[in-house]
Amino acid sequence: MELLFNLTLNGLATGMLIFLLAAGLTLIFGLMDVLNFAHGGLFAWGAYSGIWIYTTTGSFLIGIFGAILTGFLLGIITEKWIIKPVYGNHVQQILITLGLMLVLSEMLKVIWGPNQLTANPPEYLKGSWEIGDIIIIKYRVFIIFVGLLVFAGVQFLLKNTKIGLVVRAGVMNKEMVQALGINIKKVFMFVFMIGSGMAALGGVLFGPYSGVIHAGMGMEFAILAFIVVVIGGMGNFTGSVMAAILVGLSGSFMAYYVPELSLAVNMLLMAIVLIVKPQGLFGGKG
Amino acid sequence: MSELLKLNNIETYIGQYHILQGVSVEVKKGEVTVLLGRNGAGKTTTLRTIMGLNPASKGSVVYKGEEIQALPTYTIAQKGIGYVPEDQGIFAGLTVEENMKVAIQKENEETNKRLDYILNLFPDLQKFWKKPGGLLSGGQKQMLSIARAYVNDNELLLIDEPSKGLAPIVVEKVMESILQMKDQTTIVLVEQNFMMASTIGDCFYIIDDGRTVSNGTMKQLKEDEEMKRKYLGIA
Amino acid sequence: MKWIVNNRMNAIYIIIAAFLFLLPFVYESRNMLILLTQIFVFAILAMSYDLLLGFTGIVSFGHAMFFGIGAYSIGIFMKRLEPTMLHFIYAVLATILITAIVSFIVGLLTLRLKSHFYAMLTMALAGLFLVLAEKWRTLTFGNDGFTFRVPELFIDRTNFYIICLVSMIAVFMILKRFTNSPLGRVLQAIRENEQRTESLGYQVLHYKIAASVVSGVLAGIAGIFYAMSLRYVNTSVFAMDITLDALLMTIIGGVGTLVGAIIGAGLIEFAHDGLTELAKEHWIFERWIIFFGIIYILVVIFFPLGIVGTLRKFTWIRKKQHPAKKKENLAG
Ligand SMILES: Nc1ncnc2c1ncn2[C@@H]1O[C@H](COP(=O)(O)OP(=O)(O)OP(=O)(O)O)[C@@H](O)[C@H]1O
Ligand SMILES: [Mg+2]
Repeated sequence: MELLFNLTLNGLATGMLIFLLAAGLTLIFGLMDVLNFAHGGLFAWGAYSGIWIYTTTGSFLIGIFGAILTGFLLGIITEKWIIKPVYGNHVQQILITLGLMLVLSEMLKVIWGPNQLTANPPEYLKGSWEIGDIIIIKYRVFIIFVGLLVFAGVQFLLKNTKIGLVVRAGVMNKEMVQALGINIKKVFMFVFMIGSGMAALGGVLFGPYSGVIHAGMGMEFAILAFIVVVIGGMGNFTGSVMAAILVGLSGSFMAYYVPELSLAVNMLLMAIVLIVKPQGLFGGKG
Repeated sequence: MSELLKLNNIETYIGQYHILQGVSVEVKKGEVTVLLGRNGAGKTTTLRTIMGLNPASKGSVVYKGEEIQALPTYTIAQKGIGYVPEDQGIFAGLTVEENMKVAIQKENEETNKRLDYILNLFPDLQKFWKKPGGLLSGGQKQMLSIARAYVNDNELLLIDEPSKGLAPIVVEKVMESILQMKDQTTIVLVEQNFMMASTIGDCFYIIDDGRTVSNGTMKQLKEDEEMKRKYLGIA
Repeated sequence: MKWIVNNRMNAIYIIIAAFLFLLPFVYESRNMLILLTQIFVFAILAMSYDLLLGFTGIVSFGHAMFFGIGAYSIGIFMKRLEPTMLHFIYAVLATILITAIVSFIVGLLTLRLKSHFYAMLTMALAGLFLVLAEKWRTLTFGNDGFTFRVPELFIDRTNFYIICLVSMIAVFMILKRFTNSPLGRVLQAIRENEQRTESLGYQVLHYKIAASVVSGVLAGIAGIFYAMSLRYVNTSVFAMDITLDALLMTIIGGVGTLVGAIIGAGLIEFAHDGLTELAKEHWIFERWIIFFGIIYILVVIFFPLGIVGTLRKFTWIRKKQHPAKKKENLAG
């Protein structure tokens, strides 16, 4: 019982981190048809910049905001100088984002050195609550809480604001959005920025969760995020949160019972989805 | 009457295909100009070229005295041109209400009035206000698409085959509504249904193989059996 | 003889090949020999990559997977069994079998979908193989890897050099033939316009899978030679770096040209070598990948035809005396 509970909590927390990465990926893909292979790099940048600010200022909150800001900035730069110049050419776009991934990861090593950095939760999020036999680690609850908050926030944005409506409309029919007098390029930029901010937030939250961060983490998480994007359906925001929880939970349980197979099981899940329902488990775009 | 829109010998490529090879059209203010021609003649492409969706590589598109052929689509739309595409371009996952919200460029008294007007014209839209656009019937989709183009204070509407795939009774309904809007805006209409075209239209252009081959008033066309047979396949 | 006169390009290839054959007998530098061997091996990998990217318009981000399968197959056969020619042949057969099956499955799963899926699935699968190599310690000795002995024929560096050179030339000629064959023409038609090719009645999926399998098998062969040149294999053969190298070589050399892949392999390997030397002088050169990354991004944006493609374009312009088609882009 206690074990079950902990594995679930762990899986949910990991799922939320993957969600923060996958959500931007899926939105950017849905709207712009760009699969951003550098997205994991933004995750790692969020972690490094956020943890660095956190350790320098001593405030975790400032660290989080710093990370998000870094994500926004990198997102804008990426969209403007890397993605836009090759707009409309899929192959070039895929190729170039991978190049960016490489540069982003290496830049981390140039700035913060090649070794991994350690990170701890702030005092108020350290330790755990005990309820009966059940031990609840505070930081995990915190991650789940933040993840859900972001999900609700983005959901609100998509459902209730004009720009959100335009994003959803753009996922369905880009041409028509422009024919209605809306500058879709600005919307691209906005979505790229939000998506990158979410990835960076995921990165900084991951720091104290795992205790260490390293430059390769972006790539590792990006693979999980890709799996989530496929399972949830490319371009499907609500699908991505469900798929992320699924992948997080399966990862957590597998890691306990048969650790060797945990990535393999998720890959298998993805392969099955690709065969039977390539538009994703949770419906089509939208 | 002066012309609102003028296409001067435009040529358009789609990929490597030379689709439009010389289309010239003059649209007079307050009139309904009908583009006719067989399937694949280039009618849709002409409208898309006006909207900047398939930009012209030669020739010019002059709207209210200004050349717009090199502008991005959204700027062209903001200048007051509304577009109802052949496939209606409904955002399937968005409700009717949300479809309208995306379309509305500025929220003001004037827009609200136009919204009321168009919803009175198409009560079905009001009835299915909260229903996803994808679940509407063909005719309702057509109405929604027209409503979206109309709701902004557009001086020119481009409407591509509104009767396509609709039951005769629905065609009549759509036709009526276009006739009503005719008083307020200039319209360029692509229409294969000759009955509809001749009822609504003031003047016509025939496009064949990417070129405008003939034009005149609708009255002239009605009487010209030869022309109808040659380009439209009707006697 | 007439054929040589007729084709200046072939004459140049033959002269260069002859020069490379004679080199080890006139210029005795062990380092140079090893470097050139490495270039030949990576040229095979890059050409296999070019078949996908340049000739079919498929992006793979997991080419290291096939390379690694080859490297581990040879390592395991040589380590577990005696390092004889027979076992070498077994290893080659095993590599061909495994890479063919894997590339077939990946192709079947993703090639009917948008190009992103192939890139993504290969990347994820390569990650899986990396984990597999780390975790299956009884077979792979985990991260540390293992050394092994090679059959006698391959021990002598000059012999091995010649064998790699011959293999590279063979792969070049086979792929040249392959891409000029009717099947290769269909692949290029797919790259240019997939829908049109489909509407002409070709089963596009079958052709793409065929390209994926040939490419995977050749990458596996490159992996075999790579491991044999080091007589050592560890998990790094599955790393992203290998895929990136192949990508870089193909793109910088010029996609869809095959020769470009060889030139790219030469450039990148020389650059690796030089930068490793420079790293002793200044730490920033330890991060040489960053330079590659930046060059790579710039090439993709400004120079998408690569070296060979750009040269060809210019000679073509001069011949025809009118500008080349503007839209001649990377497999768009
Ligand atoms: N994306 C495209 N790629 C290639 N050719 C195209 C494309 N779109 C349209 N065409 C071609 O351009 C020509 C004109 O098409 P267009 O849609 O403008 O015709 P149309 O007059 O609207 O026909 P219809 O009455 O059938 O709607 C056709 O021959 C069509 O095949
Ligand atoms: Mg049409």
